[in-house]
Amino acid sequence: MDLIANLATGFAVALTPANLAFCFLGVLIGTLVGVLPGIAPITTIAILLPFTFTLPPASAMIMLSGIFYGAQYGGSTTAILVNLPGESSSIVTCLDGHQMAKQGRAGPALAIAAIASFFAGTIATIIIAVASVPLSALALKFTAAEYFSLMVLGLTGSIALAHGSAVKAVAMVLLGLLLGLVGIDVNTGLPRMTLGIGELGDGIGFVAIAIGLFGISELMIALSRPQDRTLLSVALSQLWPSRKELKDCLPAMLRGTAIGSILGVLPGGGAALSSFASYAVEKKISATPERFGRGAIEGVAGPEAANNAGAQTSFIPLLTLGIPGNAIMALMVGALMIQGIQPGPQVMTAQPQLFWGVIASMWLGNLMLVILNLPLVGLWVSLLRVPYRILFPAIALFCCIGTYSISNSQMDIGLMLLFALAGVFFVKVGAEPAPFILGFILGPLMEENFRRAMNLSRGDPMVFAERPISAALLVLTALLLVVLILPAVRAKREEVFQE
Amino acid sequence: MLTRRSAVAGLSAAGLPLFAPALRAQAFTRQINLIVPFAPGGTSDILARLIGPRLSQVLGQPVVVDNRPSASGNVGADFVARQAGDGHTLLIADAGTLASVPALFKRLSFNVKTDLVPVGMVSFSPYLVAINPQVPATSFAELAAYDKANPDKLNVATSGVGAVNHLTAMVVGKHFGIKWSAVPYRGGAAAVRGVVSGESNVIFNGAIATLPFVTQGQLKGIAVSGEKRLEALPNLPSFKELNTPVQDAGSWQGIYASKGTPPPVVSRLNEELNKVLAQADIVAKIRELGSDVRANSPASFAAWMDKAMVEWGEVVKAENISLDG
Repeated sequence: MDLIANLATGFAVALTPANLAFCFLGVLIGTLVGVLPGIAPITTIAILLPFTFTLPPASAMIMLSGIFYGAQYGGSTTAILVNLPGESSSIVTCLDGHQMAKQGRAGPALAIAAIASFFAGTIATIIIAVASVPLSALALKFTAAEYFSLMVLGLTGSIALAHGSAVKAVAMVLLGLLLGLVGIDVNTGLPRMTLGIGELGDGIGFVAIAIGLFGISELMIALSRPQDRTLLSVALSQLWPSRKELKDCLPAMLRGTAIGSILGVLPGGGAALSSFASYAVEKKISATPERFGRGAIEGVAGPEAANNAGAQTSFIPLLTLGIPGNAIMALMVGALMIQGIQPGPQVMTAQPQLFWGVIASMWLGNLMLVILNLPLVGLWVSLLRVPYRILFPAIALFCCIGTYSISNSQMDIGLMLLFALAGVFFVKVGAEPAPFILGFILGPLMEENFRRAMNLSRGDPMVFAERPISAALLVLTALLLVVLILPAVRAKREEVFQE
Repeated sequence: MLTRRSAVAGLSAAGLPLFAPALRAQAFTRQINLIVPFAPGGTSDILARLIGPRLSQVLGQPVVVDNRPSASGNVGADFVARQAGDGHTLLIADAGTLASVPALFKRLSFNVKTDLVPVGMVSFSPYLVAINPQVPATSFAELAAYDKANPDKLNVATSGVGAVNHLTAMVVGKHFGIKWSAVPYRGGAAAVRGVVSGESNVIFNGAIATLPFVTQGQLKGIAVSGEKRLEALPNLPSFKELNTPVQDAGSWQGIYASKGTPPPVVSRLNEELNKVLAQADIVAKIRELGSDVRANSPASFAAWMDKAMVEWGEVVKAENISLDG
């Protein structure tokens, strides 16, 4: 069978000592940047890109992709232990993972995060191997109309997902939308709301916002509270989740893997959106949704599986079509080009050793990550046991370096600090930053695709209803809205969020 | 600490003012910053990281690649325009884009002609004109016939409003009597995706990025810009054969220094750049990137810029595009 022969080719490449070493180096660096809040994998990959010039193409890709999915593992450790998302995709893990840690179940929370990630990683690797060809065909069916409808669904979903007042969630989405529109409007080429500042032409940097809102502002809030040292002296004697917990988690992991695998393939999807979607689904279908936000282990397992699956399947459009689905994949395109390989449909046939080698290395990398994360959790914990007076300035410094290094712009640091203050304000008034971030990311994409679809249909709005995938997505959105508005559901939702 | 500047100041104070310019012309005394006005991973960035280390060898100072990304590359170009004219800050950028910005932006913070000094051209990569295979045409003439029979159906995907591939598509379309509407995307990769998926149906884009889709049959090649045909697609006519306007449209990469850089420093930089561009492995690498080395002299690069500024200025005026209101 072709698949087996292909995988054999892949493992032959990935198992050479040099490539194993690069894979290990990648996942180790990935775990480190994942654990440390404020350093994004994209920053790390950007910084390390020049060093891959001299490596063979397969080794370079194996190491760079290791950093990316390794960060998904590491991010959850920090999320659970200190309630700081190491990565944007770990924001959701904070919700229940940190609650578990507070209840003295940090060990099982970390273990289930690693197990779910490995589980999803294994399945996602198989999916990439088996389904990369048909899946990239599906992604190509998405035109501007479908993207618009997908974004509408995503934004509506983010309101459903939010804690507390739905009005505040809508306000946060709108604020995110508004700030997302800063910069050059793709459809006219004109700058909007840039105040004449050239650096704002490309919009407000996502990294500056994310690090400000989730990194620095968390430090400030943590400092405003008395230090909760019990949290850091978590006994890790009981690492393994109970048999019952594992059984509870299995369906969540399966659903998370499925959601992540699908969203990962779509451009603009990937890890962060996958984890949000998975959490929303788990909460919706749970028999006891009130446990969510209070240490539900499924609330850790589902999103962790989803973000890892999403991180890995986002390689599908890149490896099969040469089309980067997100900013990190765009850097990977650069890495391939440096090697003189034009990413595209021909890579699979012209460079089978590269293509299958990278896929095989993903599974090996996931295996290494479990080994790095489970027995070494103690080590990562001790990294976080460093006193706040040392840890916080160090994190703040890393946040600054990470933000600055994206485009070597001092203004980004200023923006980061501004959003740190905004983040503190949001927390004080009880408004969640997650819908804001989704509005910020999805809003401009929604506008861009809406106007492109209208441009292509020469102004006929029926295009959104006539295309079947788009119509289906809009119907789903309508259903979600009805569910949100129904008085019975609303009462129940508010009851759930009463704290 | 005794720095170069304090040494020069000391010498000047000691009554040796004439010594300073000579010192400046010959020696590179500290780190040289090579500014890339785009994010890492693009053509300019890849070339910078390829050439940087070799320039460093011949100039005897570290050459550090510094990305200062923004739309159209204006922020990076503006930065270089404001640096001291001593040859220690260089810009590597798409020369065609740089030649078009004075017409596109009425309030540009720098003057392309006077604030940047052309050092030398690096490479040229032609545009491959490709269409979605669902459009039944194999040439510009057939596209024009299709457009007549099916008005308002053709959409040309561009990398952004005012991008060189947008300007080229409009002026070439007009030449063949094709009325397509321009659909802007966020960059070339997204534009290619738009044509492969069929939402748009024509694209003028870098040959290297578009070629795999053409050889795999997901896109159909129509023509290639520049003087000669592509080796990989010998059946496609070149713009020169078709006698189109803007025949040398494509991606031209060049290196610039800051205003006031003394001519001896510029010629030394040009000399060393051309030595690097003559190295066999650099030529091969640039070829792998789908480009050809096009080394020249500062004077012919400056003449090229002048011609391009006039040419693109006319297209921008005819299309009535303005990027700052």
